[in-house]
Amino acid sequence: MQTNLADFIRHTAEGAEADSILRSCVHCGFCTATCPTYQLLGDELDGPRGRIYLIKQVLEGTPPAHATQLHLDRCLTCRSCETTCPSGVRFGRLLDIGRHVVETQVGRTVVDRALRKLLRTILPYRNRFGPLLRCGQVFRGMMPPVLKKMTPPRVAAAPWPDNRHQREMLVLNGCVQPAIAPNINSDTARVLDRLGIRLITTNDGCCGALSQHLNAREEALKFIRRNVDTWWPHIEAGVEAIVSTASGCGVMLKDYGYLLREDPGYADKAAKISALTRDISEILETEDLKKLRPNTKLRVAFQSPCSLQHGLRLTGRVERILTSLGFSLVAVPDAHLCCGSAGTYSILNPTISSQLKKNKLEALGSGAPDVIATANIGCLSHLQSEASVPVVHWISLVADS
Amino acid sequence: MSSDSAQDLIAAVKRACDRKVALCLQGGNTKDFYGREPCGEPISILSHSGIVDYAPTELVITARGGTRLTEIESVVAEHKQMLAFEPPSFGSEATLGGTIASGLSGPRRPYVGAARDFTLGIRMINGRGEDLKFGGKVMKNVAGYDVSRLLVGSMGTLGVLLEISLKVLPVPKVEQTLMFELEQDQALALQNDWARKPSPISATSYREGVLHIRLSGSEKGVKAARARLGGEKIDHGRKHWHDIKEQRHKFFSQSGPLWRISVPPTAPTLNIPGSALLEWSGALRWLITDTPAQKIRAEVDKLGGHAVLFRGGDRENAFHPLATAVHKLHENLKKAFDPMGVLNPGRMYEGI
Amino acid sequence: MSTPASQFKEPLESVRARVADDLRAVVAAESVLSDIESLRPYECDGLSAYRKLPLVVVLPDRIEQVQEVARYCFKNDIPIVARGAGTGLSGGALPIENGVILSLAKFNRVLKIDAQNRTAVVQPGVRNLAISEAVAHLDLYYAPDPSSQIACTIGGNVAENAGGLHCLKYGLTVHNILKLKIVTVDGDLVTIGSDALDSPGYDLLSILTGSEGLLGIIVEVTVKLLPKPECARVIMASFDDIEKAGNAVGNIIAAGIIPGGLEMMDNAAIRATEDFVHAGYDVEAAAILLCELDGIPDEVEDDIESVKVVLAQSGYTQMQIAENEAQRQLFWSGRKAAFPAVGRISPDYYCIDGTIPRRALGSVLNKITELSKEYGLRVVNVFHAGDGNLHPLILYDGNVEGDLEKTELLAARILQLCIEVGGTITGEHGVGMEKIDQMCVQFDSLELTQFHAVKEAFDEKRLLNPDKAVPTLHRCAEFGAMHVHKGQLKFPEIERF
Repeated sequence: MQTNLADFIRHTAEGAEADSILRSCVHCGFCTATCPTYQLLGDELDGPRGRIYLIKQVLEGTPPAHATQLHLDRCLTCRSCETTCPSGVRFGRLLDIGRHVVETQVGRTVVDRALRKLLRTILPYRNRFGPLLRCGQVFRGMMPPVLKKMTPPRVAAAPWPDNRHQREMLVLNGCVQPAIAPNINSDTARVLDRLGIRLITTNDGCCGALSQHLNAREEALKFIRRNVDTWWPHIEAGVEAIVSTASGCGVMLKDYGYLLREDPGYADKAAKISALTRDISEILETEDLKKLRPNTKLRVAFQSPCSLQHGLRLTGRVERILTSLGFSLVAVPDAHLCCGSAGTYSILNPTISSQLKKNKLEALGSGAPDVIATANIGCLSHLQSEASVPVVHWISLVADS
Repeated sequence: MSSDSAQDLIAAVKRACDRKVALCLQGGNTKDFYGREPCGEPISILSHSGIVDYAPTELVITARGGTRLTEIESVVAEHKQMLAFEPPSFGSEATLGGTIASGLSGPRRPYVGAARDFTLGIRMINGRGEDLKFGGKVMKNVAGYDVSRLLVGSMGTLGVLLEISLKVLPVPKVEQTLMFELEQDQALALQNDWARKPSPISATSYREGVLHIRLSGSEKGVKAARARLGGEKIDHGRKHWHDIKEQRHKFFSQSGPLWRISVPPTAPTLNIPGSALLEWSGALRWLITDTPAQKIRAEVDKLGGHAVLFRGGDRENAFHPLATAVHKLHENLKKAFDPMGVLNPGRMYEGI
Repeated sequence: MSTPASQFKEPLESVRARVADDLRAVVAAESVLSDIESLRPYECDGLSAYRKLPLVVVLPDRIEQVQEVARYCFKNDIPIVARGAGTGLSGGALPIENGVILSLAKFNRVLKIDAQNRTAVVQPGVRNLAISEAVAHLDLYYAPDPSSQIACTIGGNVAENAGGLHCLKYGLTVHNILKLKIVTVDGDLVTIGSDALDSPGYDLLSILTGSEGLLGIIVEVTVKLLPKPECARVIMASFDDIEKAGNAVGNIIAAGIIPGGLEMMDNAAIRATEDFVHAGYDVEAAAILLCELDGIPDEVEDDIESVKVVLAQSGYTQMQIAENEAQRQLFWSGRKAAFPAVGRISPDYYCIDGTIPRRALGSVLNKITELSKEYGLRVVNVFHAGDGNLHPLILYDGNVEGDLEKTELLAARILQLCIEVGGTITGEHGVGMEKIDQMCVQFDSLELTQFHAVKEAFDEKRLLNPDKAVPTLHRCAEFGAMHVHKGQLKFPEIERF
C-alpha cells in the first residue's frame, strides 16, 4: 500500500517500522474473515484492515479523534489476522505503535485513565491481587451473581515435587495465575518430574504484558528487567529452558529480546531469555510421554488461546499431545476465534467480550465435552465464569493420574 | 450463407421498426406451438446459417442462428463432444436460434446445466435493427451485463439471434440406463437421496410405477455406481431418453393440454388430477390435465414453482403470471431492447 | 457525464451532516458513519490504488432498513454504492463523493439450509467459505471458490459473478444460485428466480448476476449446494517452459477430461507463495500446473491415469500427486493465497483478469513477457488455465512517482492483447472502475448504449453504483478508443445520456 508518513514520525525507528508494515499490506481484506470483532460488528473500522487504515491516517499526519481510539481499543490483539495474512503484515506490532501515538495525541478521559491505572496497579502484583482475590473468595457466597461470576472459586494446589534431577527448567510464576490457579504450575512440576525434569520457581513477577497492552511501555520494561535480573543467575547456572504455562505470558517472554533490543545493558540477556522460552506444549512434544499415564476418560474440548495459536503459532500441538496420550477430543468450530478474555479486554470492553465468550462456550459445548481445557490463565478464568463444565489448564489433565 | 444474410435481417428489422410493424421470427417452425400465439409478418432466419467457428480443445462452438440443430450436433459428435443440455428439437428442421430463443433443455439439465448455462456469447439484432455482440467465446466473461443469457428463453422478444457461442462437453465414455419399479413417492424420495451424494446420474424419468435413470461416466465409474444403486439394466436406453426429450414417448400422445411444471425437486406428488411424467430427479413434471390453469397455478405457487401450458389448451396465458414488480421489469427490458415492439410482440406475455 | 445527483447546491460538509442525520432516523446512530476519520477506511475496496471518500457510510442490519435507505436516497437523488467485504479487485465498491456506501457486512447469517433440496438461503454478507463450512457436516458444499473465498461475501460474488478455481467443471456464480431477493432503487423488495430450476419470463437472475451493483441491491441469496466429491486428487506438474505448460492444458481437455480445477503459476508466483505456505512447490520450475480430478473414486483413478499420460506427452519435468487430503489442501493453499502473497515481494501489485481462448495461452504469455520488459515492470502470472482466465500481477511501488501510471498503461496493453486474440477484459473480477476504459475497446457505442438501456430498465435515475462497469460514450470519446461501428461514429447518440 502506498504510504506517506508525516514528519513527526517519518524519521524515527518506529516510523520506519510502521512504514514497512503498512507497505506490506495489500488491502486484500482476508484478515477481516478471521477477526472476531469484525465478524461480530461488521464494520470495516472494527477489522484489521480498517484499523491499519486508521493507523495509517494518523501516521500520515491526520490528527485522530475519539473514533480512531475506540476502534483500536476494540482490537483484542488476538493476532488471528496475522495467521490469516498472506502478505505477512505484522499487525500486532503496528497496533502497538498506533495505539501509542493515538493515546499520546488523544489522551483519555479521567475515568478511563483511572480504570486503566487501577488495573495496572493491582493485577501485575501478586502481593496485591492475591489478597484481594482471597478476600473475594471468602465472601463469594454472599456476593451478587455478577460479582460472583467474576470471582473464581479457590483451587488447591498439589504439593510441588522435590526430587532432584539432572535436567532443570525454570517456570514463570507471573502475576495473577498463582492466585487464581496455583495448581497449574505445581501440576506442570509433577508432570515434568515424571519425565525426569526438575522445575525451578523463582521470585519473578508479571511478565509485563499487562502494562504493555495498556500502553504503559516503560512500566512494562521495568517488569521485564526485573524478571531478567531474577532469572539470570539460573540461566548462567544452565537451566535448559524457561517454561511458560500461560501462553499469553509466553508470547511476551518471546518478545523480551525485541523489546529490550535498544537497551545495551539488557539486550543480550533478554535475547537469551526469549531464545530459551518454551510453552509447556513445546516441552512435552519432544519428550517420551510413555512415562505418563493420565486418566483419559474425560471427553475434552480444547480451547486454543489466541496467544498459543496466533501469537506463538503453536496450532494443533496440544491437541496432538492430548490425543497421543489417549484423550478423546471433541471438534470445536471456529477454533481460530478469540474467547473475549484478551487480558484486561474483558474488563475494558465488557459487551464485546461477553458476546465472544457466549459464542466460544457454544462452540466448545457443541461436542458435549466433560471438560474444557485451555492453555492460558486469562481464557481459563474468563470461560470458567459461565461454563457449564469445568475449565482447566490442559496440563492438569495430563498430571491427573 | 454470406454475411449479407445478416445485413438482410438487419435491414428487415430496421424497416419494421420504421414502419412500426410487428415481426414474427421464424426458424424451422418446430416450436410454433410454444408460448402465446405468434403474430406479425413472418421473417425467416433460415438463410443465415452455418458454423462460424469450432475448436474442440476450446470446448466452444459458434454458429449462426439459422443453422440446423442436427448439423451442430453431428459436427460436435465427430469430435466426441455434445451439447450437454440436450435441447429438444421437436423436428429435424429445428434451428440453433429457435433452440436458444425458446431456452428449452433436455433430460441432462439438472446434472450439467441448462441452455442458458452453456451460452457464452451472442450476436444479435435488437428491435432498433442494431447489430450487437455480447459475451464471447471464452468460458468466463463478466464485461458488461450478461445479455447473452438474458436472451436465452426470451422467445425472440428481445432480439434476433444472429450468432451463438455455446460451451460443449466431451461425450461420456459410457452410458447405461437402469430401471426400477416403485411408487411415485418412493421414487421421489429415492432420487433426492441419490442427489445428495456424488453419482454419475445424468437423467431420470418416472411414469406409472417405473423409474428410469441414466448413468454417464467412465467405465469404472458407471460400473461402481450401478453396483451401488441396483436396478435392472435396459438395452433401449438411448431410445428411451430420445423419446422423452423429443416428446415421442407414448405419454405425450395422450389427448388434452400438456403442462410443464417446474418445482423444487423435493416437492411432493402434485395434488392435481391428470396423467404425469416426471423428469429431472423430480424437479420437472409433465402433466396432461383438463384442470383449469388457475387451479394448477395456485397449487404450484404453493410449492415455489411455476407452470407453463406447453401444448394445447388456451395459449393466452401460456406462461405463469409474474409478480407485479417483476412484470414491470419485463416491460422495461422489452422497451430497452425493442422500444417499438416489433420483435415477436406478445409471444411471452401480453405487451411483451 | 455526471450523475444527476452530483450537483448539490450546498457545501459537501453540510450535505454530509444532513444526510447522516436523516439516515440516523433509519438505522442505529452508530451504524451511520459521517466523520472523515471513520469514512477514510471505506475509501477503497480490494483495489487500493483507487480511492474516494464517500458522503456517508450506512450499516443496516435488516432488509426494511435497506429499503428505507434506498427510498430516502431515491427521493433525494443520492447515489448508493453497495459494499460487501470490500475484497473486490476492480474498484466496484469504490465510493462516490456524493453517494452513500451501503455496507451489507452485518447481514452475515445463514438463514436456512435445506439438505434434501440441496439449497441454502443466506444473507448477502455471509462469506463464501462460511457457506461451505455451514453445510460441511451434510457432505455438501457451495462450488464457486474465488481465491478470496475466506473473506469475500456471497452478495459481492453475485454482483461480480465470481468464479474461482473450480469453475471449469462447476461453473460460475450464475450457475450456482437459484434465487435472489433484491431491493430496487426505489426501495421495493423483489424476488428474482425461484426454488425450482427455472423461472417464468426473462432470465433476470442472469442479468442481475455480474451486474456490479448497478441494477439492484442484493439482500438475500438462495444458493445451490453440491454433494462433496467422494474423492478429489490433485496432480502437480512442473515444466521448464511456460508455453509447454500452456499446451499441456489444451492437451488435457482434448483428451476428453474436464478437471475439477486446472491452475497454473509461473516461477515468480511459485516463489512468492512457497514462502508463505511451504507447500513444496518446485521453485526451479518455469511454471507449475495444478490439476485436480474429482468425482467417484473409480472415475478419478481412470482420469488420473489419463492425465499422467497427457502430462508426460506434454513434457513435464517433475510430477507429484497429493498423497492425502492435507497435502491436497496444501497444494491449493498456495494458489489461493497467491495474490496477497505477492505482497511479500512487492509493496503494490495490480491484478489483471483477462480471459483468452486457451489456444492463445502460450503466445499471450510470451507477449506479456515482452511487454513487461518494455515497461520495466515485473509481471507475475497466476491463472485459471482451464478457463483461459489470466491473472497477470504487475508489481509496482506506489511510493515511486509515475509507477502506478506506467502500470496502468501496461495493464491496458495486456487487456488490449486479450481482446485481440478473441478474449475479454474481465473473466471474473468485474469491470468496476478499473477496466472502465477498456470497455470502450471491447464494445462499440451501440452495445454500450444497449447496456445503458438495460441499466435504465432497472434504475432510470442511475443512482445505483453510477458510472461504474459501463462507460458513458463521452468517457469513451475522451479515452479515444471509440470504435467506428460499421462506418458510423454514433456521436449524435451522446445526447441520449
